[in-house]
Amino acid sequence: MNTSSNGYVMGFAIGVCVIISAALAVTANSLKPIQDEAAEFDRQKNVMVAAGLVETGDTRSADVLKKLYVDRVQEAVVNTKSGEVLTGKSAKDAAQMNKDAAAADPSDKGAANRFRVVATTKGADGKIEAVVLPISGKGLWSTIYGYLALEGDLEKVRGVTFYKHGETPGLGGECENPVWCAQWKGKSIRGEGKKLVGIEVKKGKVDPTIPYDKAHRVDGLSGSTITCNGINRFVLADLTAFEGYLATLKN
Amino acid sequence: MTATATPALKKSSLFGKEELKVIKDPLWDSNPIAFQILGICSSLAVTTRLDKALVMGIGVTLVTALSNVMISCIRNFIPNKIRIIVQLVIVSGVVIVFDQFLRAYMFDLSKQLSVFVGLIITNCIVMGRLEAYAMGNPPWRSFLDGIGNGLGYLWILAVVGSIREIFGSGKLLGMQVVPQSMYDAGYVNNGLMVLAPGAFLLLGVIVWIQRSISGYSEK
Repeated sequence: MNTSSNGYVMGFAIGVCVIISAALAVTANSLKPIQDEAAEFDRQKNVMVAAGLVETGDTRSADVLKKLYVDRVQEAVVNTKSGEVLTGKSAKDAAQMNKDAAAADPSDKGAANRFRVVATTKGADGKIEAVVLPISGKGLWSTIYGYLALEGDLEKVRGVTFYKHGETPGLGGECENPVWCAQWKGKSIRGEGKKLVGIEVKKGKVDPTIPYDKAHRVDGLSGSTITCNGINRFVLADLTAFEGYLATLKN
Repeated sequence: MTATATPALKKSSLFGKEELKVIKDPLWDSNPIAFQILGICSSLAVTTRLDKALVMGIGVTLVTALSNVMISCIRNFIPNKIRIIVQLVIVSGVVIVFDQFLRAYMFDLSKQLSVFVGLIITNCIVMGRLEAYAMGNPPWRSFLDGIGNGLGYLWILAVVGSIREIFGSGKLLGMQVVPQSMYDAGYVNNGLMVLAPGAFLLLGVIVWIQRSISGYSEK
């Protein structure tokens, strides 16, 4: 057989590609449900990390953590336009309602993300201990997903996590570094006159002698200006979107 | 016939002398990291913790062994003109399958290994073994060669990973091994070990030790 004829080379290349892609498609499809479950568990874990229920890298078994989530965390769907909490709706319903809302009024840009799932945890006294808000937006390469938890006073940050992103490992990807996220703790999202200012990732180090830095800013991630700018933008945008909900909670 | 194919070795048994040599050599004498200085990039990146190093080592071992077997099976049919790209396609396929399994069953680790699983594709060890061995040898021996080289990579990663985890964060496999009393007495974790340069220094020392024991010197 002449293995160097053009026809053979083409045929061989096509054959190899078809076989490999078929094998990949089968594997990816059959593992999808298990991967989704793992990703969902990871999301729940991040809600609890933001709320301060567990630490990153908690070594307790998955069953214990899942039970903890069910016991301590209450999820609720919020209409970010009116600020009202919809009872009896799941995350799946929220996705469907967003789709419907966007289809009903294509000119309304906020509709596609109107119904969002928030989580709250309650302390022993029955008061709200943490309000975990989903935050997400564009970084440099990807959409970054995270959770920002507020204390019961709805002003101070209780914790933050960024759990899904495609930023450069070692640069923008450092936003998931627990040491960096720990700086967010205790910062305030409201400035003078209770005006919403969000949390700002500073370019460079925070100077503790400047009151504004101390209250609202965290250290920048070197080499990832665009990721940090993105975080600044969507944290503020998402907090603004949740203003109505936070007001409802306060009353 | 391909240019790299050599006449099949004499009679082959399942675990004859030749086979044992194929699997033992890369563990020490021709170790891919210490002797051939291949796969350095990933060994710097994934050795901050022992569990990461182990999973990465197992990944490279599986990928090298499986792609060696596949290439060896079709070695006489691969057109010489496109052999490198055919090797790449097969390596990528195996790596993606491994990545998918990690994502399903070891989600946390797969997040931490992030791009480095995908980068097994470009690990010189894998391509090196395909080109140097699998293209000219029967499947079983190629399999052993892949396992041998993978394990040669794995044990060095494991050594570097253990040292970095113990001295860098005082832990091993996530468990505290440096007692609190030592911290109280003023002991501090070595920050250099957590960073890539620490791994670079360690690797240098390991290569030095390995070479002075095995008696190899640059000509």
